[in-house]
Amino acid sequence: MLSLHIVALLIAGAQAAVLTLQSPRFTVTSSTGAQLRSEPISLARPASIPVTLEKDDVLKVTFQVIEKGASKGVQPHQTFLRFYDKKSGEEGIQPIRVTNGGKAKFELNMAKPPLSLPPTSDAPLQVTLLIGSPLHSPLSVALFDLVVPASQPAPVHPDEASFHPLPEIHHTFRPEQKLPPKPISAIFSVLVLSPWVVLLGLWAQTAPRVPHLLSPSILPFIGTLGAFQGLLVWYWADLKLGQVLTYGAVLGLVTIFTGKQALSKIGDQRVGRK
Amino acid sequence: MAPKSSSPAASNVVHSLWKAYSDQTSDRLKFIDAFLVFLMLSGVAQFLYCILITDYPFNAFLAGFSSNVGQFVLTASLRSQVNPENKNEFKEVSPERAFADFALGSIVLHFFVYNFLG
Amino acid sequence: MVYLRSLFLIIAGFAAGINAKSSTGDSVLVIVEPKQQDNYNLFFSGLKEQGYDLTFRAPKAEAPALIEYDVPAFAHVIVLASETKVFARDITPQSLVQLLAKKTNLIVALSPKQTPLTSLAAEFSLTLPPPGTPLVSYFPAREGPANVIPVSVPAKHTILSPNLHPVWFSGVPHTIGNNPLLVPILRAPAESFASETDGGSADSLVDSAERGGEGLWAGSQQGLVTGFQTLDGSRITWVGGADVFSDEYAKKEVSKGVPSGNLQFARDVAKWTFQETNVLRIDRTTHNRVNSTESLDQYTTNDQIEYAAYISKYDSKTGNWAPCTCLKDLQLEFTMLDPHIRTALLPVAAEPGKYATTFRAPDRHGVFKFVINYKRKGMSFLESSTTVAVVPPRHDGYPRFLSAAWPYYTGAISTSVAFFLFSAVWLASEAREKKAKGHKAE
Repeated sequence: MLSLHIVALLIAGAQAAVLTLQSPRFTVTSSTGAQLRSEPISLARPASIPVTLEKDDVLKVTFQVIEKGASKGVQPHQTFLRFYDKKSGEEGIQPIRVTNGGKAKFELNMAKPPLSLPPTSDAPLQVTLLIGSPLHSPLSVALFDLVVPASQPAPVHPDEASFHPLPEIHHTFRPEQKLPPKPISAIFSVLVLSPWVVLLGLWAQTAPRVPHLLSPSILPFIGTLGAFQGLLVWYWADLKLGQVLTYGAVLGLVTIFTGKQALSKIGDQRVGRK
Repeated sequence: MAPKSSSPAASNVVHSLWKAYSDQTSDRLKFIDAFLVFLMLSGVAQFLYCILITDYPFNAFLAGFSSNVGQFVLTASLRSQVNPENKNEFKEVSPERAFADFALGSIVLHFFVYNFLG
Repeated sequence: MVYLRSLFLIIAGFAAGINAKSSTGDSVLVIVEPKQQDNYNLFFSGLKEQGYDLTFRAPKAEAPALIEYDVPAFAHVIVLASETKVFARDITPQSLVQLLAKKTNLIVALSPKQTPLTSLAAEFSLTLPPPGTPLVSYFPAREGPANVIPVSVPAKHTILSPNLHPVWFSGVPHTIGNNPLLVPILRAPAESFASETDGGSADSLVDSAERGGEGLWAGSQQGLVTGFQTLDGSRITWVGGADVFSDEYAKKEVSKGVPSGNLQFARDVAKWTFQETNVLRIDRTTHNRVNSTESLDQYTTNDQIEYAAYISKYDSKTGNWAPCTCLKDLQLEFTMLDPHIRTALLPVAAEPGKYATTFRAPDRHGVFKFVINYKRKGMSFLESSTTVAVVPPRHDGYPRFLSAAWPYYTGAISTSVAFFLFSAVWLASEAREKKAKGHKAE
């Protein structure tokens, strides 16, 4: 969009003088002074190989701004180097000091990088030279891609994370209680029932006679005792507390009555016989 | 009876203890004692299961085990109250009263057991 | 009026937003110097056509007041008096902040001249260049002064219409802080910078850059029009120059045959600031156990809980709230002091506007909150918090009749049976004791 405008306006009103660069050149020297790379800058296209700077290297860019056709040097109002990281969108603008005769020299020392160098990651910076002047057409030259060591990331506001989806949190539950295998429980249930063998065996030897089992004064009491046991097992399986207390109270009254009857009969028998 | 001096002393003591027990205890008391032995064995079996296999659910173990233990205690106290040799200790408690206490205590115990059994 | 209306339709070329209305009110106060009021006729008539009631006030005039009896008198305020040095007593940075706190939306225009309101911009993390240094750009080569700049707009933008034509701008840039509440709307071209218009020197630019800090305002990181949405929901847009809204720029062509996008841009900025676009709200939230519709205030640990939020978006064309399936990353937090669970609320296909999720309540008991805290740049903030208790299971809520407890069940039941048999035999037997063998001591 922008370049269309430039072309259109240049075609429309080409009276404005055109600027160009004379002998633009960049040099990369290491911290020891050894020259690593030195190339002239082409105005038509950026350098094909990216310029790589290590921790202490120095990049020097020199050129002279002149009016095309004349050899007069020009000090433009705006001579900026633009560093742009396409991946993250970070940008830095560095003005270059130009003398009255148009000579410009810019030095970038990675040991003390300028504040205008934006935070970098592993993507290269596109370096562009922007020259603007009220009396001339503007000039924008894509110089080269610059690769510098990664810097600290740009500081992030502490609340920034809440403006993006946050990581999911799952609760670690206590592990389910593992039940032992059913056959084992069944075997032990049989084990718990095994004392019945002992009990019945011993009772077979020592059980007294039960002549009064079916006597009408004793059987109801035995019945209510059994009913109580049945009620309690029913409570375990099915009933609620309120229900069992109600039924139990009723049954309890009956039991008191039958119990008194049975025990007094037994007592009389014991005393009477004696 | 003169003690046999040729057998080891420990088994002698156990043997004579057993003989005295089986001779001197009435059948009714032995009837109760059988119940006591049954409760003890049943409790031991549940305890073994709890230790060896799993104590989950713990409330069920407590209910089952204390059913046996509580019933044992109640039966033991019934036995001592009903034993004619202890008549002097329990002058106000007739055997019928002892059984009534036993029955009431057992029913209340069973209520708590089934409440907690889960 | 007819001529203006047809001109407006021709230039704008879009038929969007006729009778579009704001969700928070239609009364607008415009604070503008009376002499300059006619410069913005297209913008004002556009607002009037959308249904806003415009009231005009000179900056020095005492009436109508911004806030009366502690209640804001207008739903929205536009301050176009960007060069006035003396305002009426009730127009101060503090009163503008008070308006924002009372949910009034603002558009404030700045200028290279310093006014009492420019100090307020710094409170929003916007740093203005020194006074007298407007934005200047020599790119693209064009006729006209260097401080009237065509700014291209990204093709896709959350607030502006798509494929908007470049916008003419003259005014001051500002650097944007990293406060996430800021919503950049228009950024400066990469080649622009702030400088004095009357022959600024190249050396001063280099010197100011070497000074460090905020020495040089240059590049595309600068903002020209930046919005800010407060935590209460009110929106304020800082515009670097009031000329963006002017008729002159609306009619000025960007290139041969290509009209500028100023009018549509002004409309879009007003739409966003006055709560017409990107306005969401939570209609209601429901929570219940799965397979139930009853909303309890007490859940049990390890329950399966279903939570649903109904979100609607304001449709300014109809003036109604319509269910919106536009949110893709809505999240729910189940929090007790810290989030224990954070899951995505996914849209339910059957019911537009409903976002639901199912999760298992943690096995910790306590007082939890269902929290929705949805903040995204440019959209209104969604916040909702519902408090419920999570209690351990009741005494009969635990699993029962487990196979692991069979031995205990058999033990208890066999004790009962043994007791019954014992007491039956005992009661039925002879009370008299048999003489035991060897009872009588020899």
